[in-house]
Amino acid sequence: MNHVLVQDLHKSYRDKEAVRGVSFHVEAGEIFALLGPNGAGKTTTLEILEGFRDRDGGRVEVLGRDPGDRAHSAWLRRHVGLVLQDIAVEPYLTVRETIARNAGYYPAPRSVDEVVELTGLTEKSRTRVKDLSGGQKRRLDLALGVIGNPRLLFLDEPTTGFDPNARHGAWDVVRSLRDAGTSILLTTHYMDEAQALADRVAVIADGRIVATGTPATIGGRDHALKRIRFTLPDGCSPADLPVPVSVEDDGAVTASVAEPTLALHRLTGWALDRGLLLDGLTVEQPSLEDVYLGLTADHQPAPVLEPSPLSAAGHRSTP
Amino acid sequence: MSQATATERPVLTAPAAAAPGRLRLTLHQIRYEQLSFWRNPQSVFFTFALPVMIIVIFGAVFSGNQPDSFFYGLSGMQYFTPTVAALSVFGACYGQLAVSLSIRRQNGILKRLHATPLPAWTYFAGLLAHALVVSAVEVLLITLVGYCYGVPLPAQWGTAIASLVLGAASFCALGVGVSSLISNSEAASAVVQFIQFPLMFISGNYFPIHSAVLDDVADALPMRPLNQALLGAFTGHGDVPWRQLAVLLAWGVLGALVAVRRFRWDNRR
Repeated sequence: MNHVLVQDLHKSYRDKEAVRGVSFHVEAGEIFALLGPNGAGKTTTLEILEGFRDRDGGRVEVLGRDPGDRAHSAWLRRHVGLVLQDIAVEPYLTVRETIARNAGYYPAPRSVDEVVELTGLTEKSRTRVKDLSGGQKRRLDLALGVIGNPRLLFLDEPTTGFDPNARHGAWDVVRSLRDAGTSILLTTHYMDEAQALADRVAVIADGRIVATGTPATIGGRDHALKRIRFTLPDGCSPADLPVPVSVEDDGAVTASVAEPTLALHRLTGWALDRGLLLDGLTVEQPSLEDVYLGLTADHQPAPVLEPSPLSAAGHRSTP
Repeated sequence: MSQATATERPVLTAPAAAAPGRLRLTLHQIRYEQLSFWRNPQSVFFTFALPVMIIVIFGAVFSGNQPDSFFYGLSGMQYFTPTVAALSVFGACYGQLAVSLSIRRQNGILKRLHATPLPAWTYFAGLLAHALVVSAVEVLLITLVGYCYGVPLPAQWGTAIASLVLGAASFCALGVGVSSLISNSEAASAVVQFIQFPLMFISGNYFPIHSAVLDDVADALPMRPLNQALLGAFTGHGDVPWRQLAVLLAWGVLGALVAVRRFRWDNRR
């Protein structure tokens, strides 16, 4: 059962085609991450799913219903939770009052105390919202997103601005929601976040999905070449080595191989025979970030299309 | 994540769980609006305390005044008790709603709220009822201060209450309407004051006006009709102020029309 289904979604603003043919789906009970650079169409896609924007074309279903159809909006509001990028909470209510107020809006909310605890706000439950730190306000936002016990939760860049401890805490919250049966669609810039949380990811660039898969396999990551890297021992030249290598700027050498076992055996055997050490020896799998950068590199807008403020000023001053 | 765990939860066939009762939900909203209001020093001071302070100061200023010598046979306090009460209702309804809705729209609170199952009309019912509660407390306090300075209680209670309720409802509608026309919350306070101050001035809330032309203009605007209706109700002079009530109603309808046509939950474009 798909909790979110997007097929050939299109959306244009006055002068820009923001989303051009996006398709993906989120299965019941999974965490699905939408990755992409700023302006790639992530937030537009999410806002269409949340019912905040109309689409120009394509098919969209959220829990089996069309979020663009106002007849479904009341039903969807009861069953979908969302956490937006901006913090938006009344300053003079306490944490607990804010959560209790929103709990009153839902037919079958979670317990207020349980949500306070889940989001790590127990010690702050009697603090007024205006006295919370930025990270604590974001956690309150998350609490408001889940108080209605939603079947599906949209998280738009949920940990932007968090310190590392708070991020790991938020990830635990998101995982425990998934384990309790909530499906989650999140957007993020952070590859480690997608790696740590997502069951599946899609990379969106320039209004299109360029790859979909699990964090381990997306973009052929599991088949990509592994990199063996070390510092060349004194007195040796790259030509002496038993495997072909390339020399990096910092003097280290790198061998790119499909299967590192044999290459490593040859290299270490070669070194031991000569009584040498391979300083700084590492074997690297391409990170999700490497794959992501490769996938999105071709889709960066050309400089001409988006002039920097400096060049724009230059254009203006030239008649 | 196993498919089984997820499908245990009925997704599309969920029975419509009893939605929270509408009256209960409205009371729930009023409660949290009241908490927010009374904890906010700015609203407590400017919206609530200022009109009460004004009437206390006026009482001290006019206490040595000869009766019947201030305004067509009324003492200063007989004139100002109803007009400051009217002013306080204007601030609690029009001023409060115009500013707080603009701020809530600007910082995304309205957008978030609109994504919850809270029905829009329940939200507004709660907000309007909250403004009425604040107005009622203010009018009672101001009437009490006037009474302490020797102003008799309203001679026509029915007219006084009808005028205050209609006036408050109209001012609320105008507040929501004006907030719908303000796109930037930083301008909200300035726009609200820009309308409120001259209106109070020409309607005789700061001092009595002795200009037929100005009175004619102010009679067609929303403030003076409430002043006149309340003055009549306090002193017991005159009949039911139908004309004044009709003007208030017309402004309320206009505000409501603008609000319905132009209200946005979100200030994007």
